[in-house]
Amino acid sequence: MSLDRLFSNLAGYMDQYAVLPILYHFHWMEWDELSFDWCLVCIYGLFAVIVTYAVCLPMERWRPVEHWPDQKAVLTDVFYTLLNRVGVIPVITFLLFYQAQTWFTGWVVDMGFIPPTLDSLVPGLFGHPIITFWIYALILDCADYWRHRLSHSFRAWYALHALHHAQRQMSFWSDDRNHIFDDFITFVWFFVIGLLIGIPPLQFPLLMLGLRFIESFSHANIRMSFGPLEPILVSPRFHRLHHALRAAGRGSCNYAGVFSIWDVIFGTADFSNAYLPTGDAKAPEALATGTYLEQQLCGAKMFFQSLAKSWHALGSRRPT
Amino acid sequence: MITRRTALALPFGLLAPAAYGDTPPPICVVMNSGAASISVIDMNTRQIIATEPAFREPSHWALTPDRKTLYVCDAGGNAFFAFDPVTAAPLGHCTIADPYQLAYSPDGKYLVVNALRLNHVDVYDAASLSLVKRFKAGEMPSHLDFSPDGRWCFSSQQKTNALFSFDVQTLEPRWTVPIGNTPAGVLWLNDKIIVCIMGENGIIEVDPVDGRITRRIETGPGAHNVFYDEDNKILYISNRGPGDTSLAALDPETLEIKRIYKIPGGPDDIEIAPDGKIWIARRFAEAVAILDPVTGEYDSIPVGRSPHGIYLSTCLARKGKLTAEII
Ligand SMILES: [Zn+2]
Ligand SMILES: [Zn+2]
Repeated sequence: MSLDRLFSNLAGYMDQYAVLPILYHFHWMEWDELSFDWCLVCIYGLFAVIVTYAVCLPMERWRPVEHWPDQKAVLTDVFYTLLNRVGVIPVITFLLFYQAQTWFTGWVVDMGFIPPTLDSLVPGLFGHPIITFWIYALILDCADYWRHRLSHSFRAWYALHALHHAQRQMSFWSDDRNHIFDDFITFVWFFVIGLLIGIPPLQFPLLMLGLRFIESFSHANIRMSFGPLEPILVSPRFHRLHHALRAAGRGSCNYAGVFSIWDVIFGTADFSNAYLPTGDAKAPEALATGTYLEQQLCGAKMFFQSLAKSWHALGSRRPT
Repeated sequence: MITRRTALALPFGLLAPAAYGDTPPPICVVMNSGAASISVIDMNTRQIIATEPAFREPSHWALTPDRKTLYVCDAGGNAFFAFDPVTAAPLGHCTIADPYQLAYSPDGKYLVVNALRLNHVDVYDAASLSLVKRFKAGEMPSHLDFSPDGRWCFSSQQKTNALFSFDVQTLEPRWTVPIGNTPAGVLWLNDKIIVCIMGENGIIEVDPVDGRITRRIETGPGAHNVFYDEDNKILYISNRGPGDTSLAALDPETLEIKRIYKIPGGPDDIEIAPDGKIWIARRFAEAVAILDPVTGEYDSIPVGRSPHGIYLSTCLARKGKLTAEII
């Protein structure tokens, strides 16, 4: 049995015997068609976590950059990963996306415009799903580069992103440690792009997982670069430089998520052969070592404080 | 004419005599809604002979009134894909807003499309595919059917738990009535409307005049879609969970259950071959089941992710056959 079919079968069992009984009980069966997709997301997410764990853990043991006396701070990141990749967040995101898409696309269609997909827009793409997949991957990764770069440029936005940078024990679990508001901005960001070029097709969940794997792997506590592939793919060394203490906040480098070409093209690449300590010296301790809730609360407080500061700064500049 | 691809896909030893002549093999077209593709199966050899691309999520199908084109809906891709109904040779695609399920009015004048995600019931001019009327009758319009005289159309509103009806001549709404949790499949049968109620334990029978519920029949949890085998006078209901999934066979008059076939993996749409075997899309199993209704045994053919609608070219032999639900 192919991996894909095995996952479908597992998701089918999960749907029929765990999710549908809940939907049925609460009279939510209108989601029946989609709950199978949710289960697929969870199954693929779980598989990705297991594969990432199986690959990264031995490598972190083999060639670690840092040795830590204890790994308490890593545990919180494990929670972030499970929540974001296997748990409820993908389903909530999906529901939000679904509702937003219903309202917005419905309105756009009423105006007489039917949103295109990339493969319907670009002649010659249709019927070449693998090429389409890579073009979507490049566009979305480029968009993510700019989202990430901008999140380092605005004070209030960085107040949220600081949570991601505060980690001093950076490991392959750290990819998903983000403030929930930051996740929401990311969601809106990709929602807009999804409306412009269509939502990417999901024929190749394994390729998709491959890309997510690069993102997890780039956070791993591994002394490793990709040699000649450094200007193409984001390696642990490359992303560690982005997380370096001196690179927190504005004027950072290496913003790319999967393809480092964006940093080369937009002039923010740093390929130094250095493995620096990570963290954000200005971030409150709660952001680094707090529990999930403490980190979220602290991040929200910082966000609103810096919003207020920016507002006041704007006010003082206003002509009287 | 047999296509080159078809000929190449057939192992030499299996080349049926018919394949040499002008008659292409009978085919099964499966809409893989999770794989953005359409699998074409040779019904004789049971081999996949072609996989055609779609944009996002192909779901249901309809034959054009002249039966020269097979339309496949792609809701996420906002498109119809057209195929030759005999060979499944692709004939191109056109843009249409969120088509999930569809049916032509019996006079062939209109094509009505349920846009499930956008909450629209759209009426198009059948020939030009230009929008004639847009109803916003409820949320998540799911399945639809007409009265055979073509006067009325009925569409289930999955999220607002209602059945909506409009007058096809005047294009004015007739009524919207609450009919139970998550209605799905809709079928005109013996001057009544049968509606599958997914959130409850079976189907209901509705009076098409005023939307009054006249009967309730338990068929199994998660009754999803309904099909009528006219020749053998059997009504089939696919039950898609929670728990074990099945296909129920009912007497169309009494609505009494005659037999329940256990079909694991979420049976969705069905179609019946001339030999009496029932071809069933198994959503969660990435497979098509070929069920022998006499023995209850079935074989499986692996297809793409989440197979949804299923079409057999042998149905062209049935006079007037246009939609999946009347077999
Ligand atoms: Zn950053
Ligand atoms: Zn990072």
